[in-house]
Amino acid sequence: MIKRSEMAGHRRMPDWVVTGCSVALLIVAWVVATEGGFVDDLFMPSPSSLWAGFTDLVEDGYKSRTIWEHAGLSLERVLAGFVTGAVAGTVVGLAMGYNRVIEACLAPFVEFLRPLPQLAYLVLLIVWFGIGETAQIVLLFLTAFPVSAIAAMDGVKSVSRQRMQVARSLGASNWQIFRFVVFPSALPEIFTGARLAIGVVYATLIAAEIIAGSTGLGWVILDAGRFLRSDYVFVGILAIGLMGLVLDYMLVAIEHRIVHWAGKY
Amino acid sequence: MQRESGKTDAPERRRSVVWSVLAQPRWLSALSVLGALAAWWAITAFAVVPAVLLPTPGEVVSATIDILRNGYRETTLWQNVGSTLWRCGAGFFLAVLTGVPLGLAMGYWPPIRAATNYIVQFMRPLPPLSYVILLIIWIGTDDRSKIVLLYLTAFPIVASSAMAGVRAVSQQRVQAARALGASEWQVFRYVILPSAMPLSFTGARIALAAAFSTVVAAELNAATDGLGWMVISASRFLRNDVIILGIILLGVLGVALSAIVLAVDRRVVHWRGIE
Repeated sequence: MIKRSEMAGHRRMPDWVVTGCSVALLIVAWVVATEGGFVDDLFMPSPSSLWAGFTDLVEDGYKSRTIWEHAGLSLERVLAGFVTGAVAGTVVGLAMGYNRVIEACLAPFVEFLRPLPQLAYLVLLIVWFGIGETAQIVLLFLTAFPVSAIAAMDGVKSVSRQRMQVARSLGASNWQIFRFVVFPSALPEIFTGARLAIGVVYATLIAAEIIAGSTGLGWVILDAGRFLRSDYVFVGILAIGLMGLVLDYMLVAIEHRIVHWAGKY
Repeated sequence: MQRESGKTDAPERRRSVVWSVLAQPRWLSALSVLGALAAWWAITAFAVVPAVLLPTPGEVVSATIDILRNGYRETTLWQNVGSTLWRCGAGFFLAVLTGVPLGLAMGYWPPIRAATNYIVQFMRPLPPLSYVILLIIWIGTDDRSKIVLLYLTAFPIVASSAMAGVRAVSQQRVQAARALGASEWQVFRYVILPSAMPLSFTGARIALAAAFSTVVAAELNAATDGLGWMVISASRFLRNDVIILGIILLGVLGVALSAIVLAVDRRVVHWRGIE
């Protein structure tokens, strides 16, 4: 962004060339280190063994399930926990932002839950619900809930007083003010909160699967790691990374479509 | 405020004073927490749920006293709190020390951004737990692999927010400084750095929260102390009282950490929001 007029003398390489060079350098280093035998296959799989691991996983699956089933189960859990948690959190957060009594009563719990490491209460959920889907989805719900609630509350609180007063003086009822002034003004922050929430939920999913499950991509990574199959571990990490990027892009696309007025007032 | 109302309606005034004190958010919050504790006590006292599932408040208190006195499985409580904070702090500070300079450089100098940004952006959304097993294979199970895990959790957040901070600096300000004859270093030191600080600090706050929520995961494998270890180990022995003690301690620590960072933020970046 910062123009460096001093450098106008010689032309700078375009960014994509630099990125390309950097990627190429990284790949060359990887190939040389692994195929050249400098690094053990155990620590870092070579490109060929990574590819073999990938085709293995796609063709034969992992422990009686195909890789697509594992990915699908992970996705199902993320969506179930995220959607329920984000909707409930948003409703509660809107109420907290709109009504100070509700805020005062619920804020201690939301503020306590938010920074709490999710794994800490996962063990309690396992005791309560047993190992399985319920514990995992409740965990993800509890993960998404405070993030969405605080975003929605901040969103409501940042609505300009003037706008609400204008609506009121024009004769809007409380419900109308909420529906047509407060809610649309808070929506951009609600979406920002949703993006944050899905990130946290996604990170927690892996924990849920490692401790309370025996399916899903997170479990595949951990289980493969126990058997020192670092090729599977790498394939799993790449798959999880890509799936996370896709989820985030989808949410951004929805955000642009629904809150097209964000940042325009 | 209502001086003129005199002494005649004293009881009414007293009631309204009581009400206005109670209606303060702080008291309402305290009442609500007390209500939750009472509900917890009632649920356990009347055996609504089996005692195996939820210990009574009394049991948690006596477990706390017991652990304070005798420790938990040959670790003291302070040792557990200390090593959790140490891991978290070490990973976080390493991330700030390396991530902020890299992020500033990435924002300031496009070639560096082009060469490294894709790595940072791939790492950022990656769940730390997905590569914890890799770190164990690479580094081992001691404290180093835990600190590296927390470092890697915090690093991309810190770096990308510092970068975003530099890129959000208004062009006009930079040009004004240049037009007034500032050198490249002066522009960086007196214009870009102060303008990028608020976003960098926000990033550091998010990063510390992320590191803290990963610390239990870091203590999942082959740890011998730490609050996360205590909770996980207690779950294997069905010591729910210890689990709840651990959850309360972790929650309080988390709230305290974010309050401290917020206070530091307000003090250091006092020009935030008044530009």
